[in-house]
Amino acid sequence: MSVISRSSLQNPGSGGRLPVAPRSHLTTVVIWAVLGGMALYVLAPLVFMLTASFMPAKDVMRMPYPWIPRGLHWQNFWQAIRGNDGSFVYVRNILNSIIVATAITVSTVLLATLTGYGLAKFPFKGSKAVLLFIVATMMVPFQAVMIPLYMIVTNMGLQDSYGGLILPFLVNAFGVFLMRQYLLTFPDEMLDAARIDGAGELQIFWRVIVPNSWPAMATLAILTFRSQWDNLIWPLLVVQREEMKTIPLYITRFASEKYTDEGAMMAAAVIASFPMIVLFIALAKYFVGGAKLFAARKG
Amino acid sequence: MKRHSRQGGGIERQKARWGWGFVLPALVFFGLFSFYPIFNALYMSFFKKNLLSLAPPQFIGIGNYAFLFRSPEFWNSLKASAIFTACTFSLLVGVSLLLAVFIVSRKHIQKLMQMAFFSPAVVSSVVAASVWLLIFDPRGLGNQVVNAILQTPGVDHRWLASATMLRLSTVLVYFWKYVGYFTIIYIAGLSSIPRTLHEAARIDGASSWQDFWYVTFPLLKPTTLLVSVVSMIQCLRTFSTQYVFTQAGAPRGPIDVITLSIYNTAIRDHQIGRASALSIILFGIMLLLSWGQFRISRSEDVSYL
Repeated sequence: MSVISRSSLQNPGSGGRLPVAPRSHLTTVVIWAVLGGMALYVLAPLVFMLTASFMPAKDVMRMPYPWIPRGLHWQNFWQAIRGNDGSFVYVRNILNSIIVATAITVSTVLLATLTGYGLAKFPFKGSKAVLLFIVATMMVPFQAVMIPLYMIVTNMGLQDSYGGLILPFLVNAFGVFLMRQYLLTFPDEMLDAARIDGAGELQIFWRVIVPNSWPAMATLAILTFRSQWDNLIWPLLVVQREEMKTIPLYITRFASEKYTDEGAMMAAAVIASFPMIVLFIALAKYFVGGAKLFAARKG
Repeated sequence: MKRHSRQGGGIERQKARWGWGFVLPALVFFGLFSFYPIFNALYMSFFKKNLLSLAPPQFIGIGNYAFLFRSPEFWNSLKASAIFTACTFSLLVGVSLLLAVFIVSRKHIQKLMQMAFFSPAVVSSVVAASVWLLIFDPRGLGNQVVNAILQTPGVDHRWLASATMLRLSTVLVYFWKYVGYFTIIYIAGLSSIPRTLHEAARIDGASSWQDFWYVTFPLLKPTTLLVSVVSMIQCLRTFSTQYVFTQAGAPRGPIDVITLSIYNTAIRDHQIGRASALSIILFGIMLLLSWGQFRISRSEDVSYL
């Protein structure tokens, strides 16, 4: 059984070593061919997105695809932001995505840490049952509960509002589980020392637990932010007004509009991906760490 | 109370109170937004309810399920989900294992390769779908590449029009987005195998192929199991690619996966009860898969020595 350990979170990039035996030329060729082919398959669409965003539509759809833009066709970005109807609603949609994803991330990280702390360090009667209850909700796929959730949110009058977009995602079971596993190995001596110094339990949470759990919190934050940035189905249900839509809804509409030109479509895609690309470059190890933690879910 | 407060019992009780206090907010949340909705979905699946009408839901027993099991559209959805999941899942498991083994055998490029393969997971699924929409355009890169390989200039392979190609297209998009993710899980699994086992195998004269087949592969069983179930469940939840493709004009039939069908039943057809029944069926399928994983993982746990 794998368990999330503090060290594995702090070095998500480290890998084991396998002894490399001399290989035949054939093996080497096969390995490089597979890796090279897959790298092309994986990277070409991203390069296409980036280069096409700087090309006029007639170049994007030219056969064969030119790959290198002849100049920087900035009009694409202007067109993407302006929209086909000139409403500039994309700006508002980007802002909405940032607001919703940030609010959900902050609330998820805080609530998951609080709950994980309670479960890891305060053994009470029934804490096992609580953990089981929370882990059991991991089994419930969002797609299976979205219709009842939609009814709840509309009954509360929260359609077309930030509240409606945020409410069902305030915390998630995986986050609680992750923080609990992480905090299980938190040294009790530190907590007891703080208690002897007269700190209250809430103070200990804020001053000791939160500042010392950032590797796990950062991983959870990235995971949450990424999945919300990507959320299509929920905003599709609860939002009808253009001004309350989020980026995925705008992209979907823009991509299916008849008058959208292909260069502008890729420009809109680049704009949508920009914050994630910046985060990825700056915090790659937490992205990768998140994938690895998934492996630890088994514990 | 006063008498106990100086003894361990009092501190324990106080700690228990704090424990409850810390978990209570989340507990209430999960109760309201996870447990209640799934039971509500189950409950609503026995009722006829129109999204727009104010009339109270009307009890029809297993009417919704009976309707679904007789409707060709439902079986088509099930088929679309099954085909998508089976294809994507086997590609993901097979290729990501292969990539992981190849990548760790080339230590000096591991970091770079890991990042490269992971990068599609960074763009959102809607962006991915819209990029691939252009690639699958009749004039797009899809046709150009296939025609260059097959030496068939000028042929349109109808990526977004013919049923088989449309299914393949959605698989290619999903596989593209998640292959790096599962490769990294496999790399983590590979690095947890003690190197002494490989060394022992080599000393006993095993070739690298034998080392893989008799040492690495059996010890990777837990990882393979995990990757299998996680990817299967994830594939069943796919929505964005199919939604964006159909919005852009692709025919819905071949890629009308269950999630898309739930959405359309509830929002386009306003049939809340029927959509709930679909949700419950989807949930049941996923529970069955998870339960299967649990059963197998119990019997097949490996330990290193």
